[in-house]
Amino acid sequence: MRIGTKPDDVLITYSLGSCIGVVLWDPTVKVGALLHYMLPDSNIDVNKALQKPFMFADKGVPMMFKEIYKHGAKKANMKVYVVGGSQVMDDSGMFNIGKRNQMIIRKMFLKNNVMVTKEDVGGNVNRTISLEVGTGLIKMKVSGKGEVIL
Amino acid sequence: MTRMEEIMNIANHIPPFPKVALQVMKMLDNPEVKAKDLAQVIQYDSAITANLLKTCNAAYFGLTRKVSSLDDALVVVGQDILKDIIITSSSARFYKGGAGDGYQLEQGELWKHSVATAIMAKMMAAHFNEVNPNVAFTAGLLHDIGKRFLSSFVADEFAKIVKLAYESGGSFVEAEVEVLGMSHADLGAKIMKKWQFDQELIMAVKQHHDPDAIGKDQLTALVALANTQIMTMGIGVGADGLTSKIQGAGLKHYGITGRDLETYLAGLMLELEKAQEMMSLAA
Repeated sequence: MRIGTKPDDVLITYSLGSCIGVVLWDPTVKVGALLHYMLPDSNIDVNKALQKPFMFADKGVPMMFKEIYKHGAKKANMKVYVVGGSQVMDDSGMFNIGKRNQMIIRKMFLKNNVMVTKEDVGGNVNRTISLEVGTGLIKMKVSGKGEVIL
Repeated sequence: MTRMEEIMNIANHIPPFPKVALQVMKMLDNPEVKAKDLAQVIQYDSAITANLLKTCNAAYFGLTRKVSSLDDALVVVGQDILKDIIITSSSARFYKGGAGDGYQLEQGELWKHSVATAIMAKMMAAHFNEVNPNVAFTAGLLHDIGKRFLSSFVADEFAKIVKLAYESGGSFVEAEVEVLGMSHADLGAKIMKKWQFDQELIMAVKQHHDPDAIGKDQLTALVALANTQIMTMGIGVGADGLTSKIQGAGLKHYGITGRDLETYLAGLMLELEKAQEMMSLAA
């Protein structure tokens, strides 16, 4: 997880796969945050949750909000973007971590009244995402499709 | 020459796998082998020797003290780990530079994907009673070797392959076969055969994208599973994205649950941090 506070900061996370990239940006204070979480639920490994809380949605997302609030961002002003959560082509659902990663953040946001500004999730593509902290511009690179503005 | 002939031509003129490595792997099958005899063979390949020392000191292998000479390395390192180190040291040369360019992989990414798959295959080998963990590691490391040599052909027909993969609902591998006449898995198997690896390794490389891979022999199942795990994490994933077919239902047969898959992924991230020295071998 990274916070950007300078206008020329660019936060980027590569190759999300089934992981989810969460971008928060407050246009009034011009502060941004980017989280790349890999798994929905930290209960699978309590030790790793302590060592690497940002790896898990249930630990990482609340911590990310706490961090950005410290820099003056307000929930009411914030733009929220959710990207990633792809998966391989498996009818059995064994490899559906992408879907589970999407579901948990949806649940957490619903419970905490967080509105998602835009999302680009699911499918079989691989995504890379970046945020320009000064402008709030979000670029997304999608495998086989090239770069788009989110 | 047709394109198929061109691709076959490449397979036939592939640089050999380091002889030293193959010879040492054979010697290591004998539990009584002497360090002195191993050193005598290994020292003739300076690239392997240099890589071997770097690899030995990778945190991944967990040695308690720094190894500075070949003789030293062979005494300190156990035979099992030595096999992994030798195969890593001798495979890296094939993944240097823009090895995955045609798949829009950045420099070093194809190697990173391969090392990660090897580590995952070894981690999960315990579920597969017929698989030797060293063989699992080797198969993971080399499963995508075909990409290294198919890369330029994929680049030539990039637009066609990508369009087919993303618009037809098929997989990238199916698009490779449709457009180029052969997939990176097919080509990889031909290369493994040319390099004189065992039949089970050749088959695991050939079938690692087969949708029914988990229902096939155990090494094939394990490599397909490890590769899927690494693709899921987006590690070394290029233009092909996650367009790979697999029937995960077969994992039940091995007692592997969805929760297990996530637990291994959580574990992988820490293992990868310890494998940085190995990742840099193909830089």
